[in-house]
Amino acid sequence: MPSNYPGFKYGADRETYSAAKVKALESLLIEKGIITGKTVDQILSYFETEMGPFNGAKLVAKAWVDSEFKQRLLADCNAACQELDFPAGMSGAEGEHMRIVENTPEVHNVIVCTLCSCYPWPTLGLPPYWFKDPTFRARVVREPRVVLKEFGVTLDDSVEVRVWDSSAQIRWWVLPMRPAGTEGMNEAQLADLLTPEAMMGVATVQV
Amino acid sequence: MKLQHNLGGLEGLDPINVEKQVFVEPWEKRIFGIHTAMMALSNHLDTALPNYEIAKVPTQFKSFWTWGHLRKGAEAMHPFEYFRLRYYEKWLGGISGFFVEEGYITQEELDTRTAEFLEDSTKAAAPLPKGGKAGIDTQVDKYLREGDSPMRPAPAPPKFKVGDRVKVKNVHPGAHSRLPGQLRDREAVVVLVYEGAFTYFFPTEDGIGTPMPVYSLLFQPQDIWPESLTEPNSVYYNDIFEVYLEAA
Repeated sequence: MPSNYPGFKYGADRETYSAAKVKALESLLIEKGIITGKTVDQILSYFETEMGPFNGAKLVAKAWVDSEFKQRLLADCNAACQELDFPAGMSGAEGEHMRIVENTPEVHNVIVCTLCSCYPWPTLGLPPYWFKDPTFRARVVREPRVVLKEFGVTLDDSVEVRVWDSSAQIRWWVLPMRPAGTEGMNEAQLADLLTPEAMMGVATVQV
Repeated sequence: MKLQHNLGGLEGLDPINVEKQVFVEPWEKRIFGIHTAMMALSNHLDTALPNYEIAKVPTQFKSFWTWGHLRKGAEAMHPFEYFRLRYYEKWLGGISGFFVEEGYITQEELDTRTAEFLEDSTKAAAPLPKGGKAGIDTQVDKYLREGDSPMRPAPAPPKFKVGDRVKVKNVHPGAHSRLPGQLRDREAVVVLVYEGAFTYFFPTEDGIGTPMPVYSLLFQPQDIWPESLTEPNSVYYNDIFEVYLEAA
């Protein structure tokens, strides 16, 4: 699907060349016995069906309805993830050491990786392009309120903004606030409200 | 220090472009998958904490390849090139170059086949080759589910404790660093000492790569940037390896 992102309107020749080159590379790697004809599809399928933001959404929804679970999630994210009936892998690649921080009326958290694109794969999946974009990485650490406003989140000056930069081995993510008007919802309905952006701290949860 | 080590806080940039897709072109998925397979088949995994019997995996890939190698390649680039190329364009260049350097394929093979796909749309649209040994994909799946934790027993007690004021050393990163440049020479407070110690995939010129404590540090923005450029009521946390720190 072509991107609508103006910054990515690179020449069609450039994209055509990259597409041909990566296909040439993958076909050579298969022929030479490095990977199989299924390897790449298997990896992509894993992130489409097993490890993605739908997992983070279930964890947040449970935390919203079960305050004791929420405390366990905040205290030891990986251990709390094991309590739910997820496929094996919730402490797998890029999720070995995860931590979650809670948004409250007083505190708003946002995550970034200024050096590259560190991200908690098991709970949030793969990072969206804006998270990897140097502009976001450069700006959010110094002017988070202005950046959040560009995402549509306007915070009162009384709210403390905490920016978490993944410089080492911890993969951070955000427990957003449960919105008003969701009192009658069950966990599955609540999980449907969550977006990756909400769990990175650049969106609030909308009903 | 290069610009790609020192992005945090740059002034005068444009608004964020909020592209929410993970991949903006279909080809990007393929290079992501190839990189992930390489991490899953890397020869260093025999020393990883999960019990990977990597030597028995029936792949011809016998090299050391991790996030560290990908990052090192990108950070070693000239910054003008780094920012000219899109995220996965850097991956494609670094990874295809690695396979050539390590002798798995030749540049000529890659160029010839790329040219075939560019010239012949039927070939370009044809399916990829099939086959390969199933044990490869079993290992890839195991790696995705079990990962490669960098946590190791602590070789010595942490030098700093919660509440200590520390200063980030002015280390020179070489080709690859896990220290954001904007923090060099800046002071912070230790808010958490992570349990255990953390290694890195390989030694870096600036000192990580052996197990050492890691700290969560709380920086006040006005200790990093001129106050006129900062925002009120905001704070900035980083996880920093001990070797980068000294007492303030």
